[in-house]
Amino acid sequence: MSDRRFFLSGKTSKARLREAEQARNNRLEIVKACSHKQVSRRELIKWGIISGTGLLFPINGLSPFVRSAFADSNIPTGAPPSPLFGVQPFTQPMPRFDVLPRDPVSSLDPFPTAEANTTQQPVPAALGGGFGPIEGRPPGPIWAHQQFNLLPPQVGVSVTQEGAKVNTVYNPGVASQHNSGINPATPFPPRFHPNLPDQTLLKFWTFNGTLPPKLLIGRYGEPILLRHHNRLPIFQSQNGGFGIHTITTHEHNGHHGAENDGFTGAFFFPNQFYDYHYPIVLAGRDTINTNATDARASGPADNGGLNKVPGDWRETMSTHWFHDHMFSFTAQNVYKGNAGMFNIYSGLDRGAEDINDGVNLRLPSGRASVTGKSWGNLDYDVNLMLADKAWDRDGQLLFDLFNFDGFLGDVMTVNLVFKPFMEVERRKYRFRILNASVSRFFKIALSDGSPMIQIANDGNLLPHPVTLTQLDEQGIAERYDIVIDFSRYSIGQKVWMVNLSEHKDGKLVHKNLSIAEAISGNSDDPAVGKFLEFRIARDPAQPDISQVPSTLIPNPDLSNIPVAQERIFEFGRGAKQTTFDPVSSFFGPWGVKTDGGDMLAADFGRISAAPRFGTREVWTLRNGGAGWDHPIHIHFEEGQTLARNGSATQVPPWERGRKDVWRLLPGGSVTITLQFRDFGGMFMEHCHNTVHEDNAMLLRWEINGAGGAHLNPLPTPIPTPQGVNFMDPTDILPTAFP
Amino acid sequence: MESRLVKACLLGVLIVCLPWHSLSQSSGKDATAAQSEAEYVCPMHPDEKSKAEGTCSKCGMALKQPSRQGKSEVAPTSRWGPDYFPNVTLTTQDGKKVRFYDDLLKGKVVAITMIYTNCVDNCPLETARMLQMQKMLGDRVGKDIFFYSISIDPRRDTPEVLKSYAEKYKAGPGWLFLTGDEKDIELISRKLGLYSEPDPNDRDGHLPTLLLGNVPAGVWMRNSALDNPSFLTIKLNQVLGNYSDQRKGAVKSPSVAARLEFTKGQYLFATRCVACHTIGGGDHIGPDLAGVTRLRERRWLTRFIMTPEKMIEEKDPIAMALFKKYKEVRMPYLRLTQSDVASLIDYMEAQTAALRAKEDGGTTK
Repeated sequence: MSDRRFFLSGKTSKARLREAEQARNNRLEIVKACSHKQVSRRELIKWGIISGTGLLFPINGLSPFVRSAFADSNIPTGAPPSPLFGVQPFTQPMPRFDVLPRDPVSSLDPFPTAEANTTQQPVPAALGGGFGPIEGRPPGPIWAHQQFNLLPPQVGVSVTQEGAKVNTVYNPGVASQHNSGINPATPFPPRFHPNLPDQTLLKFWTFNGTLPPKLLIGRYGEPILLRHHNRLPIFQSQNGGFGIHTITTHEHNGHHGAENDGFTGAFFFPNQFYDYHYPIVLAGRDTINTNATDARASGPADNGGLNKVPGDWRETMSTHWFHDHMFSFTAQNVYKGNAGMFNIYSGLDRGAEDINDGVNLRLPSGRASVTGKSWGNLDYDVNLMLADKAWDRDGQLLFDLFNFDGFLGDVMTVNLVFKPFMEVERRKYRFRILNASVSRFFKIALSDGSPMIQIANDGNLLPHPVTLTQLDEQGIAERYDIVIDFSRYSIGQKVWMVNLSEHKDGKLVHKNLSIAEAISGNSDDPAVGKFLEFRIARDPAQPDISQVPSTLIPNPDLSNIPVAQERIFEFGRGAKQTTFDPVSSFFGPWGVKTDGGDMLAADFGRISAAPRFGTREVWTLRNGGAGWDHPIHIHFEEGQTLARNGSATQVPPWERGRKDVWRLLPGGSVTITLQFRDFGGMFMEHCHNTVHEDNAMLLRWEINGAGGAHLNPLPTPIPTPQGVNFMDPTDILPTAFP
Repeated sequence: MESRLVKACLLGVLIVCLPWHSLSQSSGKDATAAQSEAEYVCPMHPDEKSKAEGTCSKCGMALKQPSRQGKSEVAPTSRWGPDYFPNVTLTTQDGKKVRFYDDLLKGKVVAITMIYTNCVDNCPLETARMLQMQKMLGDRVGKDIFFYSISIDPRRDTPEVLKSYAEKYKAGPGWLFLTGDEKDIELISRKLGLYSEPDPNDRDGHLPTLLLGNVPAGVWMRNSALDNPSFLTIKLNQVLGNYSDQRKGAVKSPSVAARLEFTKGQYLFATRCVACHTIGGGDHIGPDLAGVTRLRERRWLTRFIMTPEKMIEEKDPIAMALFKKYKEVRMPYLRLTQSDVASLIDYMEAQTAALRAKEDGGTTK
């Protein structure tokens, strides 16, 4: 129902589209006429188009002054409503992720090296000409892969970043019956729906240039070398209106050296590659369970057994994602398609529900005895990437560069297609839900209000599962793993995933609706309501033996580890009062205020904190304003939530595990504890509303005194196509070094 | 053999130095030309070239063909062009009428701030920061990068007022101070995403934002105008797609940089004061502060640093004399706490003492 108001449906689509286009043209005409003094303001007021204060009235959504001149919907996409060309929701199957091939490392040519490969190649004149290195990673020992000899890569994965093209090698990792009947041999075009136009080369820049989004599969004890080739256009202007052709890839919450973290200032250029070394280790590997004797600290072996690894088994992670982290352009590039997911398998979270060895938690996934795969079965373990998008009258992806509050799309996509359906069997499924939006928060429920079991938060299995009829708000980059039991439905029934969070702008959730309200279609926000349809298709071929144990992964006990330092980071335009002038309050630029210091904009040359290697700290993340929400991500190692608004009891059950993104909530604060161990280098902390992140809500911190190659402060890399230079840090906060 | 490499590099530099609009139109051709010159090249020895496939005579590696991606690339009309930006008329500090899109944006790389001359908050520091950037960029400002400070108080900021403001700050060529019709300026600020809603709690009412835009490429980046100017310059080069300049002044070796030691006072001075003041380096926009802690009472100094605009409002004789002497450039309201100011004064005192000691040492020798 909600679609009728905002989406173009059926026969009305052409007329509605014309109307939208006309409104846009009218508005431009008015703005132009007014600015060229061809009409007077008096006339516009008389016509009822402009108010006495100079604001244009939103007539038929015609409001040139809403956010940007293209806006004529209440949702500030900065554009007319995205035309749907008559496409109805839930008329296409939801594609499962496209599993990236895992090849031998020897398939990578040239062979990966610990230090960046600085072999020279000619650089196109558009990028300054001359010669430059084939690998964009900063050269030298600081940016060499840490512990490369100790954890040599065993799997090579080669991916490109490039313009949209047809996928002829789609590998869903499951039989077509588990992929809503999709035949993977049929070429998969780069479009949001079979009846929507193909995205063109400059509009859509995805991994390998194709849809569906990519899934990387890894396991503990098996380091991966991901070689990322930049095949984007060499001309900056060839960006289809948004996005930049330099990229740096962040494996979201990877516990590894900074050289693999997609540091915002360590970007690489078209024609270059960057080798990311993902060791996939348990945190604490240098100090806990160092002899790898605990079976719970392990990865799955191919024979169904376990490969034990050093480290703390209570730091096991499951659901990561990877995306661009380019300084000032993350929002545009991620929105443009630079996002994938990464499932990590372990002895505990095996991806094989029929292996009963006392370690395996046997979560819904699939049977090794059926598929022949002893780990990583995806039959009943489904990645869901949620993102709101907007497109222009040609159906091409669109982004508003000049909305600095946050960008909202008016069309919901799941796994980068428009409102699909998924066929399910009458049994338990695990869903790994990623919020891959730019600025939108989701709150998910099932249309019939029936329960879901949350088992993980940000890829960390919770100490205990939590049964909910509505999930908590899910901020950008947060991952919620849930289990839904479809056995309660009968074949032929349908149930929908519903978004309850209504936005008016990209700052924060305006309000959360009831399920009935959300489905009613009364919300002005077109991303509210049903977005994914489950069709109960059949009974499972084998009985459902998967389990959701009442204890999953407990938290490590940190009480014996002293707190070396406490820090406060305030995000927002926080008020700062001075002694002599208590009335004035300071609305500075976006930024992060560290330890009560100045509000500072992002400068990746500046070091804002430098925790000592091998210590634990307590950080308080505070929201400086009540009119905003910020999902704050801290790189490197998952942390534990100690308190919300200073109170431990205010931490909800589903946040009592480990996390890497924290929603501060308007005016709220979160106190967390983090450890700094195993690796070193420069990392980041930032708002994951990527518009906020790109507009300065980002800071750099470094691990201090790790010894060896990573001393600090580290010189700041300044990449150029001809090679990376280094500069001294431009600025170090006085409180950075304890 | 080396000269060809030099030539290739020179060509690169040359292209980067060309005004952007000519580059964007001709870059496709240039790229192709540069590439067809170098057909097969040794990855390790760039001077080893051949028209055909083969191996390097120095190391035996296979010669490789450079990428041909640049062929037939023509910049598409950007979404962020004349349809988007209003072409309203503004007036420069010299009284010249200019069109916002046609004259100020079209084909250019720009750095834009919104200021007002009567501002006692961030603007003075904003403008001083831009001046630092202008110095770093040298004569490229006005050639391939254009600075615009647009007044959001156009009623007061006439061209004459802006001209004297520009002179006070010693703004160089290529930096326009613009005024115009209030509504036009509001439209510009909304279009650039720089508009802030009036806020009763915020007497300033604007964000110190520096917007960097490469108009022909359609690439825009928002920054804090109060940020470190060298970092802003790096980002400007990035927006410009000008990477050859990033090499200047950079440390060549990836060896570990020296640990920087800061005291709080030194840090505050470096981030808040150096845009306008020196200690012993002579007068700049504001006075040389060597000896200031001896010249003024600590109480006076503290109060002046914390609330400079109040002292002028109250017509404090010393503040008024300074205001006059330094061409009525307002000391920005820096929002420092009492303890911040104490650290600053201690720092200035210590620096003065060190300076005197050095001078004394010099004379006794």
